[in-house]
Amino acid sequence: MLALGGGQNPQNDDSVDTLLYIPTLERAAPHSSPPLSHTSSASCFVFTSMFCSRSVDLILICINSVKFTAEELRRIMDFKHNIRNMSVIAHVDHGKSTLTDSLVAAAGIIAQEVAGDVRMTDTRADEAERGITIKSTGISLYYQMTDESLKNYKGERNGNEYLINLIDSPGHVDFSSEVTAALRITDGALVVVDCVEGVCVQTETVLRQALGERIRPVLTVNKMDRCFLELQVDGEEAYQTFQRVIENANVIMATYEDPLLGDVQVYPEKGTVAFSAGLHGWAFTLTNFAKMYASKFGVDENKMMDRLWGENFFDPATKKWTSKNTGSATCKRGFVQFCYEPIKQIINTCMNDQKDKLWPMLQKLGVTMKSEEKDLMGKALMKRVMQTWLPASSALLEMMIFHLPSPSTAQKYRVENLYEGPLDDQYAAAIRNCDPEGPLMLYVSKMIPASDKGRFFAFGRVFSGKVSTGLKVRIMGPNYVPGEKKDLYVKSVQRTVIWMGKRQETVEDVPCGNTVAMVGLDQFITKNATLTNEKEVDAHPIRAMKFSVSPVVRVAVQCKVASDLPKLVEGLKRLAKSDPMVVCTIEESGEHIVAGAGELHLEICLKDLQEDFMGGAEIIKSDPVVSFRETVLERSCRTVMSKSPNKHNRLYMEARPLEEGLAEAIDDGKIGPRDDPKVRSKILSEEFGWDKDLAKKIWCFGPETLGPNMVVDMCKGVQYLNEIKDSVVAGFQWASKEGALAEENMRAICFEVCDVVLHADAIHRGGGQIIPTARRVFYASQLTAKPRLLEPVYLVEIQAPEQALGGIYSVLNQKRGHVFEEMQRPGTPLYNIKAYLPVIESFGFSSTLRAATSGQAFPQCVFDHWDMMSSDPLEAGSQAAQLVTDIRKRKGLKEQMTPLSEFEDKL
Amino acid sequence: MDFESNYDIAASADFIHTHKFTRVALQFPDHLLKDSTRVVTALRRRLQSLKKCDATGSGQETDVGLFVMADTAYGSCCVDEVGASHINADCVIHYGHTCFSPMTTLPAFFVFGKASICIADCVESISKYGLANSKPIMVLFGLEYAHSMQQIKEALLESSMSCRFDAKPEVHFADVPSSVMFPSKDITKLNELQKQASGCNGASGPTYSIGGLTWKLPEGQSMDDYLLFWIGLDDSAFANVVLTFNACEIVRYDANEKRMVTDLFQQRRILKRRYYLVERAKDANIVGILVGTLGVAGYLHIINQMMELITGAGKKAYTLVMGRPNPAKLANFPECDVFLYVSCAQTALLDSKEYLAPVITPFEAMIAFNRGSQWTGAYVMEFRDLINFPQTEVVDQEEEARFSFLKGGYVEDFENQESVEEEREALALVNATEKALQLRNNSNALMKGNARSGAEFLANRSYQGLNMPSENNSPEPYLIGRRGRASGYEDEKKTQ
Repeated sequence: MLALGGGQNPQNDDSVDTLLYIPTLERAAPHSSPPLSHTSSASCFVFTSMFCSRSVDLILICINSVKFTAEELRRIMDFKHNIRNMSVIAHVDHGKSTLTDSLVAAAGIIAQEVAGDVRMTDTRADEAERGITIKSTGISLYYQMTDESLKNYKGERNGNEYLINLIDSPGHVDFSSEVTAALRITDGALVVVDCVEGVCVQTETVLRQALGERIRPVLTVNKMDRCFLELQVDGEEAYQTFQRVIENANVIMATYEDPLLGDVQVYPEKGTVAFSAGLHGWAFTLTNFAKMYASKFGVDENKMMDRLWGENFFDPATKKWTSKNTGSATCKRGFVQFCYEPIKQIINTCMNDQKDKLWPMLQKLGVTMKSEEKDLMGKALMKRVMQTWLPASSALLEMMIFHLPSPSTAQKYRVENLYEGPLDDQYAAAIRNCDPEGPLMLYVSKMIPASDKGRFFAFGRVFSGKVSTGLKVRIMGPNYVPGEKKDLYVKSVQRTVIWMGKRQETVEDVPCGNTVAMVGLDQFITKNATLTNEKEVDAHPIRAMKFSVSPVVRVAVQCKVASDLPKLVEGLKRLAKSDPMVVCTIEESGEHIVAGAGELHLEICLKDLQEDFMGGAEIIKSDPVVSFRETVLERSCRTVMSKSPNKHNRLYMEARPLEEGLAEAIDDGKIGPRDDPKVRSKILSEEFGWDKDLAKKIWCFGPETLGPNMVVDMCKGVQYLNEIKDSVVAGFQWASKEGALAEENMRAICFEVCDVVLHADAIHRGGGQIIPTARRVFYASQLTAKPRLLEPVYLVEIQAPEQALGGIYSVLNQKRGHVFEEMQRPGTPLYNIKAYLPVIESFGFSSTLRAATSGQAFPQCVFDHWDMMSSDPLEAGSQAAQLVTDIRKRKGLKEQMTPLSEFEDKL
Repeated sequence: MDFESNYDIAASADFIHTHKFTRVALQFPDHLLKDSTRVVTALRRRLQSLKKCDATGSGQETDVGLFVMADTAYGSCCVDEVGASHINADCVIHYGHTCFSPMTTLPAFFVFGKASICIADCVESISKYGLANSKPIMVLFGLEYAHSMQQIKEALLESSMSCRFDAKPEVHFADVPSSVMFPSKDITKLNELQKQASGCNGASGPTYSIGGLTWKLPEGQSMDDYLLFWIGLDDSAFANVVLTFNACEIVRYDANEKRMVTDLFQQRRILKRRYYLVERAKDANIVGILVGTLGVAGYLHIINQMMELITGAGKKAYTLVMGRPNPAKLANFPECDVFLYVSCAQTALLDSKEYLAPVITPFEAMIAFNRGSQWTGAYVMEFRDLINFPQTEVVDQEEEARFSFLKGGYVEDFENQESVEEEREALALVNATEKALQLRNNSNALMKGNARSGAEFLANRSYQGLNMPSENNSPEPYLIGRRGRASGYEDEKKTQ
């Protein structure tokens, strides 16, 4: 029951009151605030680059039918202040792709009516089918701001044209490596949070990742439509929900105090939080409303912004602002009074088809509808009206332009994160200044399958200099060490490409601050690399990306027809390139292994492998295999000894578990072989209670010289000990890679060399005698120290309504999982459950869970830690012993473990 | 079984006598060594009697010298020519299991020994197996069963006559050419000889020869069309057959236990394991060539060929002669990332967890070090067959970087031969100096596979040998050493 127009309304309905202000405002300042009106003043071009898909068909659409050419796009690329590289990150199903859609829709690529249903950026058939994003997808938007709207912009700029490179990334945790790759080449992030579900585990993970990369975030509270249509909550309740969402996000961000980046928290009153409904294609920031009301109240726009959020209440009856709710019926929070209620009113009017009331309202808002749109009914009408009134594109794009940094700004502080070399050399300087005239520094963050089968584009970001067609570049791979020739190639870029429309446009060159795809380098880059000019031999590479997930789930693949093996080999090679996380290796037994972050990830990878990279040749895959680790429970029960084959040398050793947390510290690289021994001994003595002198006697880490096991020299006054060190180390690398139980890697074991007896002649204590002996004594000491298996454990987060809890608990119990946190989301009927689940039990977990809860629970699993299995693998019949037997069988080893007597000798 | 016939005394004596050999080496494997004296006595008696018959003709005949050789330097299946030349022998009589690898200098007579076999049961197994399958059968056997093959053939013929089934299994047998072998110095001549031999027989089909067995197939057929029936033990000869004909279906008849073994999972597994080793070898920088034979014809040729192959692939090769390899010996060369074992076909497969670095065969090296060659499943054990193996063309410049399945990514190799060559000649010293002067971090030394040459590996070691110029020139105090034996010195025995 609403009536429009000031004074016409006999009832003193407060929502009417609110609406009153809008028309007044429009009357008073008809020239102002373009964001409220149509986007007619802003032209918007969109060109997408769906660089994940084989069906690369890209569209360049320009409204206003302006011919937009590669040359013009290239022209904006030179304005480094007018570029925004940003990624869209969020938890799965919080509406990233849908929101991205509405940005694209605004430019007319897809009809406004279907925006939200199409998912432009989900280009793969399987993405559309599953309704999730798998590969990150890029879209470039051209946006022209009006002088009016830019008058508050303080930063540097070059005219009113902006180029926004937006990357939509997957939200499912299995694909979070895609997010990592996207973050590396962007400077800002739009964090999308479902206003009902709030900040979830994946939101937190990606947000932390972004902040770790020094990516500045802005937030959008998404799925606003749910508040109005589904939940029908009142204004104050909605405000509380939004406030909580923002607070939760800020809690995470606040932990990243960074003097260079400044305050990264988001504030609605500063315009760094937007409220959006991706599905319906509308969004607003407080700026939009503040502008509108500022002139009405005759106050400053910024002051108005402040009043629209937080503890500011307005009573229309008294027309007074207070900082507390006065208790009067008409007194409401600023946000509710001026933002929430008007929207609610418009939506309700539309949904109820009260067109007679709607048109005058819209007229007063300055929103004009086309005549054919006026025939729409219900939801369609509401969608159209809201899109016209509060278009998502302008609100979000303006937020990005105002609050996210340009490459030139961002690289000033990101250089520290990016560059591995000294920060005072010319390369660091060039990155810092985003210098197009400087030496080329380019990071390739991912490889994109090209339309011709088997080839890839190298996709990355130019941080300094220019990359041009035909340029000879130095390719520094992930294992490159400056000054050496390892993992280094010099090759020419065949073409530099930007995507425009359906064609890939070759451009002469691409300057710093932009993303670029290159042809002709794919045969030298596996996943990522740093490129520089041929002559820049002193340049250090850009730091490798750090992934938040690790490939813990593995399957063995083989081809059905033996003669397809070359195809499989080629296919695996391509698969390894196409995904930042997947690892294709070969097992000792000769089986090809594909390792991925989770079951879903592997499923997608194998599908790609078979269909796209092997031309449909049939493959057989094994059941998922989980790798275990071998560790020890306590110190060896006695000092064990092994004799060399010639019986003239004897090694005495004991094994003990590493202190808690030490293995993780080694994993994280806090302690490693390359540390300064003094620093290392300081950390070890202070944090882990080691003896200072002992800390200096670490011989090595392993396996692969970096792993979380070590050998410590405890001998006193042994002759020739330095001679055999290398041999013992070689034996250790070997033994720690293949433990005594099931030839799995060892973890968290410290081996102490207690005593050594050596032959007096050097020839009789050579590597041939010592290396095999060292290996045997490592095994013997492992076996005497209560060996145990470690299994990988997922952290599972599940969100579900209360009635599904029973099902969740029973499934978790059955799968050996245990819940360690259960929390109701305030203001919702949803529960948040956190649990640990052994990876080996996780296969089929999702589907079992969905079946048990009639589809209401959806788990997110991410590898968390290694958990010790309590049963003794040496005790026949125990669960661990069974596992060991299974692993040995799979690996083609003797089913029986080699007994201790084979490794240990008696005097 | 009768001792004389088991050791073929009559035939060997005839062989010695007709060729008028005066110094004869008798080569025994370790497990037959216990019979060696009896064999020598029997043989001598036999020769004496032969001589007596002959003596009437030409009176002047010196005694034949018989020498027993044991503990051969390499596999006991090959004729130990080096050992025989120590005693100036002019022929070798080889006892026990043999690989029939051709020799370079000496003629040889092979005595396989005669293992017992139940012919009726064996024949039944063959026909039963033949009936169950539609493909023709090729029967191969361990040489110790060669003596009874004729009987088996006849028995099989008989049984197929008597049986009234319409479909008779088609069964072929391999032949043992002869137990005498003369040396062929030139490897190419050897191949020609083989060709001639096949030409003589008239039939024009592919000829197969493996471990002393030869057979011929009708034209247009290959081994893939046959089922293999192996009579004998699960030994190296069988492994050789399984790997070489890995595309065929193979069953084994165990004569000792009188049963058929159809589950050859372990053998199949070997092939996959070899595939892995090839992938490992691709990542190697330093290759040790182990000389596993000094007798098999053409071994020098293949070693040189392998050297060329390895240097051509931009890797470093060292040739090592060390007798029969064992883990302790090989671990003395920790700088080698992979070993390449040149030996006869039946000792070629050395695979054990005990080895620090994998040991591969020349054929695997060809696949691993020839860019562009692919693992197709075909497998060649005899290195003789590799000498004329088609070489894949040297790859062009545009070739992509090599993908390593061990590391799961691209790894750098030398781009082309020029750079290697150049480096070796002009810049070798410069590079070596540069390497030596580089700051090293000792704690992460000895990561396998990083060094490109032995010298570089040494430079990376934390201990590089004795430092002669010691600062302290004053005499060290007198120390009392240890007493006792290595298995436990006296001072240790007290404490334990």
